[in-house]
Amino acid sequence: MRRKNIIAAVVIILLTIIYATMTSQLPTRSLPDTPGPTFFPWVNTFLLLVLSVSLLIKSISTNKNIEPNKENKKTSSKTKPTTLAFIVFIFYLVLLPILGFIIATIPFFAMMMVLFSEKRVLHIVVASVSFTTFFYILFRHGFNIFLPIGEWQNLIAILSS
Amino acid sequence: MAKLNSDFIFMSSDILIGISQSTGIIVLFSSCIGVLIGLIVGMIPGLTISTGIIVLLPITFVLPADISIALLLGLYVGGMTGGSFSAILLNIPGTPSASATAIDGYPLAVRGEAGRALGIAITASFIGGIVSFLFLFLIAPILANFALHFRSQDMFAILLFGLTIICSFSASSLIKGLLSAVIGLAIVTIGQDPVMGTQRFTFGHVNLMAGIHFLTAMIGLFAIPQLISNITSNDNPKGRVQEKLASIIPSASDFKKIRTPIAIGSTIGSFLGTLPGAGGPIAAFISYDYARKLSKNPEQFNKGAIEGVAAPEAANNAVTGGALIPMMTLGIPGDPVTAILIGALIVHGLAPGPLMFLERADFAYGVIFSFFWANIFNFCIAILSVKYLVKVLATPRYLLMPSVAVLCVVGSFALRNNFFDVYIMLIFGLIGICMKWLDMPVVPLLLALVLGSQFEENLRVALTASQGDISVFVTSPISLSFIILSLISVIWSLKSNKNKKQSNDA
Repeated sequence: MRRKNIIAAVVIILLTIIYATMTSQLPTRSLPDTPGPTFFPWVNTFLLLVLSVSLLIKSISTNKNIEPNKENKKTSSKTKPTTLAFIVFIFYLVLLPILGFIIATIPFFAMMMVLFSEKRVLHIVVASVSFTTFFYILFRHGFNIFLPIGEWQNLIAILSS
Repeated sequence: MAKLNSDFIFMSSDILIGISQSTGIIVLFSSCIGVLIGLIVGMIPGLTISTGIIVLLPITFVLPADISIALLLGLYVGGMTGGSFSAILLNIPGTPSASATAIDGYPLAVRGEAGRALGIAITASFIGGIVSFLFLFLIAPILANFALHFRSQDMFAILLFGLTIICSFSASSLIKGLLSAVIGLAIVTIGQDPVMGTQRFTFGHVNLMAGIHFLTAMIGLFAIPQLISNITSNDNPKGRVQEKLASIIPSASDFKKIRTPIAIGSTIGSFLGTLPGAGGPIAAFISYDYARKLSKNPEQFNKGAIEGVAAPEAANNAVTGGALIPMMTLGIPGDPVTAILIGALIVHGLAPGPLMFLERADFAYGVIFSFFWANIFNFCIAILSVKYLVKVLATPRYLLMPSVAVLCVVGSFALRNNFFDVYIMLIFGLIGICMKWLDMPVVPLLLALVLGSQFEENLRVALTASQGDISVFVTSPISLSFIILSLISVIWSLKSNKNKKQSNDA
């Protein structure tokens, strides 16, 4: 925990420096004796600095964690599926505007099922297709919520016209 | 006297309109659906009430405000009760609020008295909910009327109190809680400034001009880390659900035993619900502790005492009505669920706060009575269908979690039909994962995102009106009282952390 607190404090201090730099570049329109648009960001900067420095000092001054290896081992075994899930999510969000909801969601759903330890291919195919179709019909036609149709459909529309 | 009479007539007519609004067929139906979804979401370990509400959000954008609120309130109430089902049957609380229920609920189930425990949990939840409805109905209009006289400095002090108390309650370390809140306040400064309209930190990006919508941030902060933690979790409740449940309705002798614990839980829950950040888990554990201390047989606690099920269940459902009081009267959410409710109301152009009782009192009373109906339906649906509902506990996670992921994307996209919001949701998901890893609470950040704009606006308006004189915050008695309360909550938190550390060292 001590190591994590030090990391948190250092990261927040760095982010606060960036925030303060950007705040100093903001326009300073204000009437005399009244707080302008930079007032509140400066208050935040001050509070972030005070709190993150306090956390850093407190973490450094406390005793070292006696079981760091156990925690590291536990964390590293969880990193792989977590990273994979995040990569799958990013791919999905990149492909969603291009391919549209149905085409992008079917492989995403299937990949997520695999990440949740489902190995039966037939189950994966049937569930990913049926759940995606169900969500599409429910939101698009049941609740009239617009879902992305994909750039390729726009392209076909342009080409056909 | 004439004014009082006319006020009473106006109030009575608003109450009647509110009752009629909450008893429309579609409103009642959506309340039932909300309760049913809430019971299911609440009982499934790995899904919280917040996730359930996030999943339902896109639907509420297209439904009228009264129907949306009835649906969400139903889910809120049902979720609190549903959490106890898995706590009793599997010793895995479906929601954090049901943690205390598992202490005595699970031993009862092991003894073959799962039906009895579930019946007591449902009954206690119902009574707790109804008591908190009475609190809400009686206190909210008075508090809203009082809050109408608040000036900017008073509102600033109340918001400060809300933020500090949530930091005190939700974090193991006060510094981390406060850091989380200030990060939220810094994020709120993205977009137009609330007083002069100056663009801040937008980098000329048109999507950032309106700022970051807190519902998008919330989906990322809550649902994504939960999804990720479910991937890495090895806990699989499938196959451990008890198949047969005997009589559910509590007997007269059981009811006699649980009267006092229910009264304790209902009172503590309703009171603690009004404090931002205190929430269901704290209320449930405090009620459990009091019920044990006041019991004639305290030695039976922890071994399957029905009083140990009744007190926390009454408390966590009583929290729901209590949390609606600051939400409706001051616009301050008591927990993540009420923060989402505020978001849902804002999407419909309704801002919760004292003015709601002045300008849309009919709607405000409609919300209060929808909460009442949600409790009634919760009791009826839970009692009648608990035998069948518990089978949902066997739903495989590989179907549930990908569905939640897809619904998160749909929810953030449907908010403004904009992919930018989906990317923001993912960024906040990453922030949520990092914060979880660093053991930083996300609830203060969320509350700061909801309240930040009001917080800055009231601070700056108060300082502008006083021409920069900061003594304005201590000359107003209301402002001074809340600033003192904020300081007390900070000192109390520091002291309790110190005591905890000393007892750990010992």
